[in-house]
Amino acid sequence: MTDNRLKSHLADLPFDRRTLMLGTTAGLTAVAAGGLTMLTSQPAMASPQINKPAPDFTAVDSNGKTQRLAELRGKIVALEWTNHDCPYVRKHYNAGNMQALQRQAADAGVVWLSVISSPPGEQGNVTPQKANELTQSRKASPAAILLDPKGQMGRAYDARTTPQMFLINAEGILVYMGGIDSIPSTRADDLEKATPYFRDALAAVTKGEPVKNAVTRPYGCAVKYTTS
Amino acid sequence: MSGVFERKSWRHPALWMSTFVALCAGASVASAQESAPVTSPRVTATLISDAASVAPGQTFRVGLRQRLAPHWHTYWKNSGDAGAPPEIRLNLPKGATAGEIIWPGPDRIPAGPIMSYGYENEIVFPIRVTVPSDAAPGQTLSVSADAEWLVCEKECIPEQGSFILDIPISSAGTPAGDDIGAAFAIADARKPLPGPWSAKLASEGDALALTVEGADLTQAAVKSAYFYPASWGVADHAAPQQLSLTDGTLTLALTKGQTFNPDAKAEGLLAITDGGGVTRWFEISPSISGAPAGGAAPSSLIESLPLWQTALFAFIGGLILNLMPCVFPVLAIKATAVARLSGGELREVRLAGAYYTLGVVVAFTALAAALLAVRAGGTAVGWGFQFQSPLFVAGMSWLLLAIGLNLSGVYEIGLGVTGTGQGLTQKSGHAGSFFTGLLAVVLATPCTAPFMGVAVGTALSASVLVCLLIFLAMGLGLAAPYALLTLFPALARALPRPGPWMLRLRQAMAFPMYASAAWLVCVLSQQLGDFGVLVALSGALLVALAAWIYGTAQHGTGRGLIPRGLAAAAIAGTFGLLLQLDGAATPGIAARTQASAASANYEPFTNARLAELRKEGKPVFVNMTAAWCITCLVNERTTLSTEAVQEAFRAAGITYLKGDWTNRNPEIGAYLRSFNRDGLPFYAFYPAGGREPAVLPPVLTEAIVVGEIERAGRSAQTSPQPIK
Repeated sequence: MTDNRLKSHLADLPFDRRTLMLGTTAGLTAVAAGGLTMLTSQPAMASPQINKPAPDFTAVDSNGKTQRLAELRGKIVALEWTNHDCPYVRKHYNAGNMQALQRQAADAGVVWLSVISSPPGEQGNVTPQKANELTQSRKASPAAILLDPKGQMGRAYDARTTPQMFLINAEGILVYMGGIDSIPSTRADDLEKATPYFRDALAAVTKGEPVKNAVTRPYGCAVKYTTS
Repeated sequence: MSGVFERKSWRHPALWMSTFVALCAGASVASAQESAPVTSPRVTATLISDAASVAPGQTFRVGLRQRLAPHWHTYWKNSGDAGAPPEIRLNLPKGATAGEIIWPGPDRIPAGPIMSYGYENEIVFPIRVTVPSDAAPGQTLSVSADAEWLVCEKECIPEQGSFILDIPISSAGTPAGDDIGAAFAIADARKPLPGPWSAKLASEGDALALTVEGADLTQAAVKSAYFYPASWGVADHAAPQQLSLTDGTLTLALTKGQTFNPDAKAEGLLAITDGGGVTRWFEISPSISGAPAGGAAPSSLIESLPLWQTALFAFIGGLILNLMPCVFPVLAIKATAVARLSGGELREVRLAGAYYTLGVVVAFTALAAALLAVRAGGTAVGWGFQFQSPLFVAGMSWLLLAIGLNLSGVYEIGLGVTGTGQGLTQKSGHAGSFFTGLLAVVLATPCTAPFMGVAVGTALSASVLVCLLIFLAMGLGLAAPYALLTLFPALARALPRPGPWMLRLRQAMAFPMYASAAWLVCVLSQQLGDFGVLVALSGALLVALAAWIYGTAQHGTGRGLIPRGLAAAAIAGTFGLLLQLDGAATPGIAARTQASAASANYEPFTNARLAELRKEGKPVFVNMTAAWCITCLVNERTTLSTEAVQEAFRAAGITYLKGDWTNRNPEIGAYLRSFNRDGLPFYAFYPAGGREPAVLPPVLTEAIVVGEIERAGRSAQTSPQPIK
């Protein structure tokens, strides 16, 4: 390249329309292709983060009432993923452990929401009536039972097992997620020996103290998500 | 699979509602090797022993054997997102001791967004038991076990059972029968091997990168790989693990688990499926580092830099773009214009500067996204954009040469498209500024293309994150000077004047390009030897020829159709050469193995040589291997090439024959079939005196090989000797 040609470059400033259209088309195609790649490479689930705002949810409970996390601001919220036929869930209900936790929560003004993410035809899926019957027969006392047959709320919270527990403080911040205790078994005698992670977290949050073990291993049956 | 499961009865709800399993009384076929079964519609469980009788002081194995109904599974020690591993409590007579469960390597069992680690069909959980040394032959060793396990299909059922085995004690001990042997073989095939490699786990944000380094980790040997963390919380079990491989370095991109602890070791199993479709599990204990692990392989050149440094270099690259002949004059004109502006207009210009920056960055991001899309598409159809692919290396070296020739001024790119400048600055409105930035990138192509070429090459072999970062930083670099000028108009005075120095800079830039091209030819010479160099240099010649013809046509008058046609023909010639390389890739590897055979202490396998040696009555060790068989390579490294084994070979006068099945070879195929084998690894030892060969297990240890040689030596001595 010579100095003259450099000068000619400078003189040749207006670009032609064809180039502009070509460039714009190329750019838009690239953006579209890129966007598509991003979308398809998204992981199946977005994990909720501890000490970050809990994912909002809107779900209909067994009494037909719509529950929204945003409307519960100012109250501590406990979430319990459940499936009444899962042997791990049965361990905690048959031994009265889950009911005791629910009473403890209610006494402290905590809103306890049991969540069922089983779709129709899968284990754990219940009609609203059956959900209420189970509450009565098991002497359980959740504030409400949320029916999530499409698994939207379950996926938002990345719930993978039943039981799996979450605690959200009055400011809407997720302060606990994980197991109900430390021994992943279906044996009721292990309840005594286990470290009660969720009970400890509940006590800490109601007292306004930080939760010591804020993330623990959830154990139990897989949540039966709809595959569609 | 037992016939029990063929019935559909296990589907009956009443059966899975039952939470325990009745123990079948000992009426059925209990033996010393297999206990009475505990059966449910899902599992037939027994306790088995790999010894029909045991000797005092002997160590043998008992195992919980589970035969599972179709689709039901039980779990590994880390069960993944749900489920639980089985628990086995052994009750042994006084003086007998037992080890832990030797957990067989698991499979992935996905269910929607949930990932479990476990076993289907049939599995055995072995435990080593040592017989008391004072046990009396003629008596029995009574081993009982209480076991609990969770078995899941979609629903999960906890089950339990108690088992009793009465094993006779004899002075020598006898192995169990074929059926039991076959059951233990299921566990043996999954038994984790010590991974003879160094492993590192680097974390960054939510991402984890597991890097494993070892010469046997070649692209030919590793078809797929997966890391099973030994405990919950290290990695997200359900997240996909993306494998990238350069010869000698395997990297898996993982997603961090909920309780990932950077101060702890992250033990686990690396499952590698080799070129023959066989999966093996290797124990690894990666050390955890904060920065991404560096590697010696060429492709990790970029990845080995901390991310911020990569970004910095890309940013500087973007800045340099501003000095290119078709960008800088425009910048200089803009700078003088901005310097003359007053307060109110200045604010407007600053805003325009911000939009211009945004436009540039968007254009670069779009470019990166398009590249990633191309790369994803390429991977899907099997292109390897990696440096171990000779095609990619040769192509990159020619691209770099072409770029260098362009910088040297041999030819110009798309002269019709030049001239961005004032036309764009005259546009008004923020959208105008934005599109100015967007188009600046597109229209400055004649000068930026060389650098973009390098960035594109890098991006094709880097991770998604790094690729995006490189382009983002380059965009910011390109936009920075103008943005800075709008903020500080006084800077304009500090700018050098456009002039011939810009040309000289551009020409100087050609030399790093030539140097990189030379380096890549060197890489190619390691991959393919002399032939690779010949092809690479011939291609380079054609590229240079094409560039020169094309450049001449640009400088001349008229349309130059003939020169352009010639240039196109030369480029077509380079593509032809590329195809040559593709064909050459595999023979190159074979040639290398053969070349190294001369220096090593083995001979290439042929039936003729084997027959000759056996006729002479010499002992022979046959090893059938392939570059794609990871177990073969690991066996060679950890056992066959060790000093102890080589010494044993020398001492016994063994000829070591090695057959390479990397490329299917009918002679080796027929040889394997004569042993009813159709896969690797395969090891046979022919003792001296032309006796029948012994086939060794697929997973070797020094003890197995040396033991086999010694045993053959002993039996030769005890067999009748001719009278002297």
